Amino acid sequence: MASSIVYVQKLGRMRYLPTWEYQKIIAERVQKNVKCGKDPQHTLLLVEHQPVYTTGIREYEYSAEVETRLKATGADFHRTNRGGLITFHGPGQLIAYPIVHLKSFTSGIKWYVCALEQTIMHTLESLGVVGAHRSPHTGVWVGENKLCAIGIQGRHVTTHGLALNCNVDLQWYDHIVPCGLVDKGTTSISKELSRDVTVDEVEPYFLKSFSEIFQCQLIMIDKKIDEG
Amino acid sequence: MSGSAAAITNMARLLLHGVGSLLPRLSASHHLYTVTLLPHTLHRHFTYAATLLAERKYTEKHEWVAVEDNIGTIGITNYAQESLGDIVYAQLPEVDAEYEQMEECGALESVKAASELYSPVSGKVTAVNTAVEDQPSLINQSCYDEGWLFKLELTVPAEIDELMDEDAYKKFLKESEQ
Repeated sequence: MASSIVYVQKLGRMRYLPTWEYQKIIAERVQKNVKCGKDPQHTLLLVEHQPVYTTGIREYEYSAEVETRLKATGADFHRTNRGGLITFHGPGQLIAYPIVHLKSFTSGIKWYVCALEQTIMHTLESLGVVGAHRSPHTGVWVGENKLCAIGIQGRHVTTHGLALNCNVDLQWYDHIVPCGLVDKGTTSISKELSRDVTVDEVEPYFLKSFSEIFQCQLIMIDKKIDEG
Repeated sequence: MSGSAAAITNMARLLLHGVGSLLPRLSASHHLYTVTLLPHTLHRHFTYAATLLAERKYTEKHEWVAVEDNIGTIGITNYAQESLGDIVYAQLPEVDAEYEQMEECGALESVKAASELYSPVSGKVTAVNTAVEDQPSLINQSCYDEGWLFKLELTVPAEIDELMDEDAYKKFLKESEQ
């Protein structure tokens, strides 16, 4: 298959909601491009969020009471349209939102989620993290602890993505049952390597792995895409 | 019930409700049936082409719709359920909600991914399959039968003619794989 181009945009530190709105604008553009037979302009957004708890479409599992309690921690709270249950995003976590037209790579959500997991496994290997593995629960784990969460939306053009714990404060997870898995925990690259590993350090390894697994060329872009 | 009483009942049912009332519901293509009525007085064999039985039409989003009496039953195809993987949650539309053709009307979740559901034709939702709400794996196990998703009353019946029949969909799948 011909190598696709994916444009990479670093958004820095951004709150959840405006980032999600931005994802939707890009997804719409990719959709339009594909419909008109143009280059899709697949885009990979890299961002760190201010502290936020988010749920997926099974949001009925989380009552207004839960929402109030979590907001009291000082974090935002949003109910989204992605798959997966509740999770936390915050500083020290590398978040990647690949907004891609799936069929341009290959068909199928299953393949896509698997490719994201493989990208993370590859990244962790490059960094020297030992014992990382995939799981029927999705995401990437070390033992019983989750290192990277995945939750996506879209069977044609994808939104949402993955969150890789670099040096995030794991105490934020104490307020929830992450992804609804009671007997599991969370971990971070810093914890596994017993040293401070920042998002900036992990990013180039992640991008290299993404480019290899998705067999695509990455082009960094600066400007934010306008709505027009 | 005695043999002749049963035959008379069946004839009455046939006259009132048509062939479909006597036969198991099938959602495959056409079959021919022979029905024998009033065994002692009248031996007439009625043969009906079962166009009364709903034919499935398909969309490029890998969904199917089977229309009977202007009510469309909708589900996803085998290709779609395989592609999604194990479905853990079905977010179905609300009864009485109205949709235009190809408007997003729900979602299916599998492997931490939420995939859109579209309405293959315009209409008003008349029923949702609560069985798949309780047991989403039904969609994987029986996507054309027990794993149906919702029914709607068509508001633009002509839209059905635009959709692919079984052969066209098979061809579409073959071409998509290339």
